[in-house]
Amino acid sequence: MSHTLHRCGAAEDLKQDFVVFSMSAKTVNAKGSGETMKRFFELLRNLPAANFGDVKTGSRFNTDWQTIHDRFRDQSVAHYVFSDRHVVAQALRALKDADLGLSVIVSGVFAEIEAICREVGLPVHTVQYSGGVLGRTDRLPPGPVLAITTMCGHGLVSARLVEKLARQVKRGQKEAAAAAAELARPCMCGVFNVERAERLLRELADRRDG
Amino acid sequence: MLIDPERCICCGECVALCPMNAIRLRPKDAASGRDAHAAIDRDECVECGVCFRSGVCPEAAIQEESLSWPRILRKAFSDPVFTHPGTDIPGRGTEEMKTNDVTGRFRAGMIGIGLEFGRPGVGTRLREAEAAIRRLLPLGVALEPNNPLTQLIADPATGALKPEVREEKVLSAIVEAIVPEEAFERVLAEVRAIAAAADTVISLGVIGKVAADGRVPAAEAMRRAGISPSLNGKVNVGLGRPAYRF
Repeated sequence: MSHTLHRCGAAEDLKQDFVVFSMSAKTVNAKGSGETMKRFFELLRNLPAANFGDVKTGSRFNTDWQTIHDRFRDQSVAHYVFSDRHVVAQALRALKDADLGLSVIVSGVFAEIEAICREVGLPVHTVQYSGGVLGRTDRLPPGPVLAITTMCGHGLVSARLVEKLARQVKRGQKEAAAAAAELARPCMCGVFNVERAERLLRELADRRDG
Repeated sequence: MLIDPERCICCGECVALCPMNAIRLRPKDAASGRDAHAAIDRDECVECGVCFRSGVCPEAAIQEESLSWPRILRKAFSDPVFTHPGTDIPGRGTEEMKTNDVTGRFRAGMIGIGLEFGRPGVGTRLREAEAAIRRLLPLGVALEPNNPLTQLIADPATGALKPEVREEKVLSAIVEAIVPEEAFERVLAEVRAIAAAADTVISLGVIGKVAADGRVPAAEAMRRAGISPSLNGKVNVGLGRPAYRF
């Protein structure tokens, strides 16, 4: 499971895209972790999030916060998506103070995360890099489409849907925000950054011919 | 996944939703008299459930099938709502570095690699991943035992998968392994050869424990192997308890 890795796009754009999530380890601290996961979810509730969710229940675009919260069980994985590094710092500070004992992972631009960790006083313990895409890269959609689809690491957001919605935005048939929300729905974990998608859809609509 | 042709009104709303582009519109058939309708190409469908869950069909024509072996593997690897019985985790992977602060899975001198076949957005037959496993095992890599792909191996000596699963198509499947730091460059050379022969895309992930002095040996090994570590990625911030004593 590397569902928040391999998000692609321009550096400045990626600097506004963070996922903060938590999980327990099956063989170490999973027992009873459902209740602790609820606490994690509560702690970050009031921060301005672009998305949140748990794959078993859904994201803010197909259910509500309370339903997600109430359905956490042992081994659930809770996610929040933030667009602002200062909010990520607030989130990590709250999690450090709460000392819940569950693993916390942050996805984003490494330089930003490292700076936040220094500010908050947390270690950069273990890292995972993307080594890029190899093989039949000729089968990939164009870069701007890929920047949107790769925000669902499980691959549930289709490139054709991105292209269809970008056309509708260009023709004035749909607002970019509504189109971004539509794209967020297939992503059940809630790791799809809808604010970034809206921005990218606008750029895509501006570029598209026809 | 199926579309009931008797219910389908051929509005086409479901077509763009499919990540595998497996939904096609079929014209009215003059011979049989069947009206135009949407149909799912069962060989290309990975049972991810996106079309069904979307509720986009105004006639509820999209229906879930009861899946049997080996087709159910498509769902196990492609639909993250489905929890794989081998990992107890939704999706096609494992905890990997996300719980390394408590499990100690990735330690000094070891580098984790993940070759995710089919990602992003292309999909893969499981035989593609099998070919990689067969080529990597002789290099001394240790496959992640909890990975659902590892659990499909019929012959641990060669890495051969159970024959009936090879042609199953999935959104993605990850070959997860741990490699000694000194073998990383050799393994990466083999990964490049595997990619050159593949008929799909492969997203490469590299995991490393950060050293006490702040160095990241995995990043240094990537550079030596001619791969730039990505600008963005994942960081475990060490809040898990009880902390593993590295």
